[in-house]
Amino acid sequence: MADFLQTYGFLIATMLQAGLLGLSLYFPLQAGQLSLASPGFYALGGYVAAIMLTNPAFADLRDALGNGVFPLTWLAGAVLGGLLGVVVGVPALRLRGIYLALATIAFVEILRVVALNLTLTGGAVGIFGIPQAFGFQDRWQYIFLFGPLLALTLLFARQLERSRVGRALRAIREDELAADAMGVPPTQYKVLAFVIGAALAGLVGAMSAPFLNTWNAKQGTFDASITILAAVLIGGSRNIWGPVVGGALLAAVPEVLRFLADWRLVINGLVLVVASLYLPQGIVGALSRLTRPRPPQRPPVQGPPVSVAEVKP
Amino acid sequence: MEFSQLVQNLLNGLAIGSVYAIFALGYTLVFSILGIINFAHGAVFTLGAYFTYTLVVGEFGNNGLLKGVNLFPNGSPLSGEPLTFALATLLGAVGAGLVAVLIERLAFRPMRSRGADPLLALVSSLGVALVIVNLIQLLVGAEIYNFPADAYGDTPPALSFTMGDKVVIIRTVQVIIFAVSLVMLAVLGYVIGRTKIGKALRAVAENPGTASLLGISVDRFIVITFFLSGFVGGLAGTLVGTAFGVAGPYFGVTYGLKGLAVIVLGGLGSIPGAVLGGLVIGLAEAFVPADYSAYKDAVAFALLFAILLVRPQGLLGRSAIQKV
Repeated sequence: MADFLQTYGFLIATMLQAGLLGLSLYFPLQAGQLSLASPGFYALGGYVAAIMLTNPAFADLRDALGNGVFPLTWLAGAVLGGLLGVVVGVPALRLRGIYLALATIAFVEILRVVALNLTLTGGAVGIFGIPQAFGFQDRWQYIFLFGPLLALTLLFARQLERSRVGRALRAIREDELAADAMGVPPTQYKVLAFVIGAALAGLVGAMSAPFLNTWNAKQGTFDASITILAAVLIGGSRNIWGPVVGGALLAAVPEVLRFLADWRLVINGLVLVVASLYLPQGIVGALSRLTRPRPPQRPPVQGPPVSVAEVKP
Repeated sequence: MEFSQLVQNLLNGLAIGSVYAIFALGYTLVFSILGIINFAHGAVFTLGAYFTYTLVVGEFGNNGLLKGVNLFPNGSPLSGEPLTFALATLLGAVGAGLVAVLIERLAFRPMRSRGADPLLALVSSLGVALVIVNLIQLLVGAEIYNFPADAYGDTPPALSFTMGDKVVIIRTVQVIIFAVSLVMLAVLGYVIGRTKIGKALRAVAENPGTASLLGISVDRFIVITFFLSGFVGGLAGTLVGTAFGVAGPYFGVTYGLKGLAVIVLGGLGSIPGAVLGGLVIGLAEAFVPADYSAYKDAVAFALLFAILLVRPQGLLGRSAIQKV
């Protein structure tokens, strides 16, 4: 067991972490909002933790709290991520579809350029020598942090889905106008889902800063947005397990393909193409279709077909 | 700011802005037809520059699997003279156009025929971009390639004139970039606005279903659109490459993102919008004070974010119709 963890523990921790990031994008997606902002909040959470753990200004706090400083950084990462989520979400969520996706890409890029140029964030070099959480000796021990957090998040996501809020989110995803007409205020629920995702990403960032030991502007980039989105779509965007499976899988692909040396990034791209071609419902979607009996075919809706041309003015 | 400085910034901004404009046209053409953003467009931009470089020089540097390979042992048939450099640029752009057609075939058409979620086409086009960028890295390495200094033959190295007591300098490259972009925009504007092909393209963009009922082969026009998109993208790649050197396989990534800002600023799917957006962002970047030049890359995205909040359909875009 110890050997196994020595060899694969780091990979498992990375997979759990990727699953958590997938879930951070899944929450807004549940309300039908395609947001690519997660890496921005993740980077922010990481910077908050890195600064609290290394900056001389916080030396007294660290001495006073001992290991208690780590949970405090998680809290700070989550809270600040959530707050920034409100600040960005309230104006940005007026946008829909591809416009929201592009606005969130812009947000991530702005944050990256700012982080690259501030002294507080260490500029292009970033912040390094971040102490290990609770004095962990090995990186695989982060499984003890990411694992429970993932379990809690999944539990939370499941309870949320079954609650009134979850039903409201689903209603907004399926048809925002209809939901609005039924008395479900779309803006409040959309911001709520967005902020939950932002706080989760901030929290994961705060846990990841010690995990990665260094933190720099590369943590929150367009590439990261895309990797997370790809993970969610490949895993399946309609089930809480989809983002987890997709994230874990995409985190593992480069490691598994390590024997391909220089070709692995090329193959990584091919994996994205092939997966999106052959698994349109995502892996979890495909699996649940296989295992579940096909629901009875609904009779077609009666009435004259409405063409798109008629809808346009 | 002194007046001469103002003129200098204006000219620099127009040159880079016109490249942004023609690059972004590639995005907007595809978006207007398919309603999807082709995230591999930045990779096509990079390829255009590499194709032209290969045609001119034919040598592959010190890295990558192709190191030391010389395509033209007796000297490139295209190097040297300005006319043949122009020819290489043209061929490079055609090559980029063909790659874009291939991308359509591999990443977009299968999605369309299955009626899959358009988001998946976004992921598959990103997959293709990853493949292209990493293949370049694998084959020719990550090093910077500089076009030969005499690429434009014996044109004077710079145009310059004095204004007050300051000298305003315009690099020949900038003039050529601006001129080529203008010609390209005029040609595209003519093709789309005045010719039969353009009419059919607009019909497909408006409503593919109706267009196909009217006897327009939608698939064929999608291929034409992708070719045009790749052509202008590749051309932009060569132009930027000649001005600043080809900065490795990830050369197109920044431009790919800025191109998104350009088309959203101008209005998604609007061709005049892409031109206006490109010029606005080019000029805005040129006027960033030297003290804040580190923040230059954020200008385009700040503008994008701002315009989305004030006018989500962009400067020249039609307000989006909600298909419920």
